[in-house]
Formats: sequence, C-alpha cells, structure tokens
Amino acid sequence: MPVIEVKSLKKFYQVHKKEPGLIGSLKSLVARKYEDVKAVDNISFEIEEGELVGFIGPNGAGKTTTLKCLSGLLYPTAGVVSVLDFNPWDRKAAFLKQISLVMGQKNQLWWDLPAMETFILNKEIYEVPETQFEETLGELVKLLEVEDVLKIQVRKLSLGQRMKCELIAALLHSPKVLFLDEPTIGLDVVMQKKIRDFIKEYNRRKKSTIILTSHYMGDVKELCQRVIIIDKGKIVFDGQLSEIVEKYADHKVLSVVFGKEIDPKKLSEIGEVKEYSFPKAVISVRREAVSVAAAELLQHFPVADLNVEEVPIEDIIREVFSGKDLA
Amino acid sequence: MNLWVFASMKKYFQLSKLTLQEYFVYRLNFVLWRFRSFVFFLTLLFFWLAIYGDRTALLGYERAKMLAYVVGVAFLRSFVLGSRSADLAGQIRSGELTKILLCPIGMFSFWLTRDVVDKLLNLFFTFLEIGIAVYFLRIPFYFPQRTETYLFFALLLVLALFLYFFVSFFLSAFAFWTEEIWATRWLFGIIFLEFFAGAYFPIDVLPGWLQGMINLTPFPYLVFFPLKIWLEQLSAATAIKGILICGLWLIIFYRLANLLWQKGAKNYGAFGG
Ligand SMILES: Nc1ncnc2c1ncn2[C@@H]1O[C@H](COP(=O)(O)OP(=O)(O)O)[C@@H](O)[C@H]1O
Ligand SMILES: [Mg+2]
Repeated sequence: MPVIEVKSLKKFYQVHKKEPGLIGSLKSLVARKYEDVKAVDNISFEIEEGELVGFIGPNGAGKTTTLKCLSGLLYPTAGVVSVLDFNPWDRKAAFLKQISLVMGQKNQLWWDLPAMETFILNKEIYEVPETQFEETLGELVKLLEVEDVLKIQVRKLSLGQRMKCELIAALLHSPKVLFLDEPTIGLDVVMQKKIRDFIKEYNRRKKSTIILTSHYMGDVKELCQRVIIIDKGKIVFDGQLSEIVEKYADHKVLSVVFGKEIDPKKLSEIGEVKEYSFPKAVISVRREAVSVAAAELLQHFPVADLNVEEVPIEDIIREVFSGKDLA
Repeated sequence: MNLWVFASMKKYFQLSKLTLQEYFVYRLNFVLWRFRSFVFFLTLLFFWLAIYGDRTALLGYERAKMLAYVVGVAFLRSFVLGSRSADLAGQIRSGELTKILLCPIGMFSFWLTRDVVDKLLNLFFTFLEIGIAVYFLRIPFYFPQRTETYLFFALLLVLALFLYFFVSFFLSAFAFWTEEIWATRWLFGIIFLEFFAGAYFPIDVLPGWLQGMINLTPFPYLVFFPLKIWLEQLSAATAIKGILICGLWLIIFYRLANLLWQKGAKNYGAFGG
C-alpha cells in the first residue's frame, strides 16, 4: 500500500497575458487574454512508506507545484492524488497533522517574532505533548546549532539560520510524510551536510516518507536511492539514482581561467573542450581522470584559476530528456 | 472531553499572544492608528457640536443623544468594525496564507481569534480616549433606563461582530480572483459599509426613500441599530425584529463567505516557494 499515490496529475495555472507598455495595459483592460501555464502535465508515481525520493528538474519544471498539490495547497486541474489515504485537498486536520511542507524559498515562521513563538504555537496547534515537544526541540536545536537565535526576530536571521528554524518548526510534530522543497538552499557546505545527515537519520529512525527537491546534486546523491526527474511538467525519469549517475554523470567539469593566451588544440588532449574563449575554458573529463587532467593543466598551461565541478544537474537532466535510451 | 477543550483553548491562547506581540513590534503603527481614530472621533464630535450650536434638538435628535451617538460610533468602530481579517486579502495575493493553510487550524477560528484580540486592544484604548474627551469636554453621556435595553444591545452587538466578520471574510475572498483587492475593499468595505452602517451619522437623518434602501442591506445592523437600541429610540418589538433580521443576515453571510471561500481556494496560487 503506497503512502503517496499520484495518478495523471495535472495543474495548469491561468495567467493573464499583458503586452508591455501603457497600450498593453489599456488593451488588457478591455479584453483580457488568459493563457494556461502547464506547470504539471499528467504525471503519475507511487511512493512507499519510508522511501526517500529525490525530485529533481530544472527551474520551472513543476517540482514545487507538485509538492503543493500533495500537501493540499493547490487544487489539481485533473488527476487523483492520495497521501496517507487522504485526499490532500480536503485538508483534514488528521491529514495535516501527519505531514509537513518545508520550502527553502518561503518563510512559514512568524516573521516579526522570534522563532520560539512559532514553535510554541505549532506545539499547541498540532497538540504535541509537552515532553515530546521539549525532547524534539532540544535535540533539533542542538543538532542544528541554533541555541542563540531562537529569541531573535525571524526577520533578522540570516537565510541559513532561518532555514534551520523552518526545519525545526516543520518537524516538531514528527510528521509521517515530509515534503522538502530545496531545504539546503543558502546554507554553507558544512550545514548542508549536517542537514543532509539529519534528514537521512530522520528518515531511517522514524520510517517517515520524504520527498526532497534540490538544486544540489550532492543532496540528492547522498540521500536518495530513487529519483524522479521532471522537466516541463512531465516525468522524464523515475528510477534508481545509480542508473543516472552511472549513465549521465560519469564526467566532471574543469573550469579553467588562463593567465595567458594558449593553443586551444593542445587543450583537447586534456579532455573534451566544451567551451573556450580566452581566458576561460570548460573541459569535460571522465570522472576517474580528473586528478591527472588537473595536474596536466597546472603543469603545462598558464593557469590562473582552476575549479573542478560536478556536471550541473540541469545538464544531466537535459541529457536524460534528450532521449538517450532510458531503461 | 474537558481535556480536549482545554488543549484547543491553549492554541487560541498562544495565537492571541502572538497577535498581541505583533502589535508591540509595530508600536508606532498602532499609536498612529489610534491617533487617526481619535482625530476622527473629535472631528465628528466638533462637527455636530458646531451644527447644533445653541439648539437643543435637530433632525429629530436631542443634542445629548446625538453626542451619545457619536461617542457610541467610536466605541462600535473598535468593537464591531475593528478587524485583522482585512489582512486576509493581502495574504491570499502574496501567498502568505500558505502558512495557515498547512496548519491543522480552521480558517475562521484563526482569523476570528486575531480579530478578537484586535478588538479588545482597540477597545481598551478607545475607552481611555473617549473617557478623556468626555471628561474634558463635559459631554453628557447617555445610559439606558430600562434593563432589557442592555440585553438587546449586548445581543445585537455579538451578532453584529460576527456579521461584520463574515462580510469582511466574504469581501476578502474576492482576492482569489482579482488583484485589485484594495479597490473592492475600499469601495465596499469602507465607503459603502461605513456610510450605510451609520458610522458617520445616524441613518434616520436621511430622506425616507434612502433610509428604506439602506435598510435593505445588512450594514445598518452593524452600528446604527445597536446605537438606536442603546439610545432607547426603538420599541422592544422593533429591537427584537432588528435582532432577528441581523441574525438572518449573519446566516446569509456565513453561507456566502463559506461558499466563496471554497470556490476561491481552488484558484489559490500559493505564490512563492
Ligand atoms: N502561482 C502561479 N501562477 C502562475 N504560474 C505559476 C505559479 N506558480 C508557478 N507557476 C509557473 O509554473 C511553472 C512551474 O513552477 P514550479 O512548480 O515553481 O517549478 P519548480 O519548483 O520546478 O522550479 C513555472 O513556469 C512557473 O512560472
Ligand atoms: Mg521550486
């Protein structure tokens, strides 16, 4: 019995089109033109209890929209959604008490008050027993190192501090289903890792079901075995992460800045040159050959700066989407 | 059962506390708001004082009763027309509403709780301000003679409070469709509503045909009717009839607010994130 079931879900937004300028404004007063934005266009998937699924795709792919449908914020244009046997749209208290939606780009804490006030309000609203509240709060606060910021107005917190408080607020009632929409956005690397570890542990210990969207491949790679890739509102891949990384992310990218003009032909001995315009070059190198390639570069070229990067997630998705045989 | 009631009381208590704390964050805002209300009250008061001059009666109102009406308006502005739910429309447009939609708490109870806090806070200051004005200007204040007047007044006041709440909710729900929330709010919520409610002057100084039209709307029950009861210018039968009609409007607007809300929520964009 899957915890989350989505069948042929569609969500179209009606947006009204306005031509630029005053004339456009006047025209739109007389005759408004509406257009459908197909944010989610006929997707289906199932998620079992305890799964931690990565939901990835480029900007505007429809990830956030899907999560909003799953948590009952948006009314689907078509299709069936079931979470924990509830129709999210009914927004029953029994349903809401078992889920949480955390949005990295959106504040859900009380903006003008210290985060602690939101925590206490959530405790009452979700009817969390006192001891459980104290325990969970203590644990989370220590783990995320936010002892010092609980009494500070939320609006005065840094993005990272706020994000941690958001997470705490969302977890105090120990939700069975957790929707995390870019939860590590704006955090430094150390904190990203901490949060990742925490999510992993939470998933393992509470057997909670989690859907995670992220721009950072790192998050997804470390946490999820299964990923769903969505592009332009459609699912283009649903399967084991290992399949994708093996297939599509077997290269890394070297971005180089040169101090002096060089011969671009020589560069292609290092790896596949994706881009070259002095002083910058982007070279794609097989994963296992990265250190050799980097050493070569430094030895034989006037390198001013060198960075080793993962293939951007967008590129992987584009590759997946361009229809290379998918299992 | 008792335990459950207690638990759910606690959440409204905490919500009230947060609402109150927000006012302390924006102290200046609140002070300016009170100042505006006070100036409005004084303007209305001096306006009528000037109109009456040395006369003791005008337009069917004794001087003392008209002044009592003006004082009453200031009081009812806080108690009936004071509201936080006016923020609702803005929250629908900005997507801030998402935060509340995700919580297992009812929309009506959430906003009603905030409204009540707003009303109590404003009421407290209104009492102070009016007290000062009444004392220094030596305005004779009218207290009803008959005991049942207090009962009728209290009853209608509670109904009016809820009626305004649902009218306001109803107006806010239009934000699901239109971006021009301030236009609707300002035109219907402020101009029509306050004028028709009798928040500037008693409606019965107007020509009969206009009165008749206004009486077909729910608005006079918010301010005008309660004050007429307080001033004991209505027979018991008329007062009871007014209370019943107000109750009817309340049911109608409760239904309308619900309906519009349910339809509108399907249009909610949950902007941001
Ligand atoms: N409330 C809205 N109204 C109109 N269009 C929207 C709204 N929310 C999102 N969109 C559009 O829907 C598409 C999908 O958005 P979203 O789900 O936020 O993508 P993602 O989270 O994958 O970046 C985008 O083209 C976006 O512009
Ligand atoms: Mg998004």
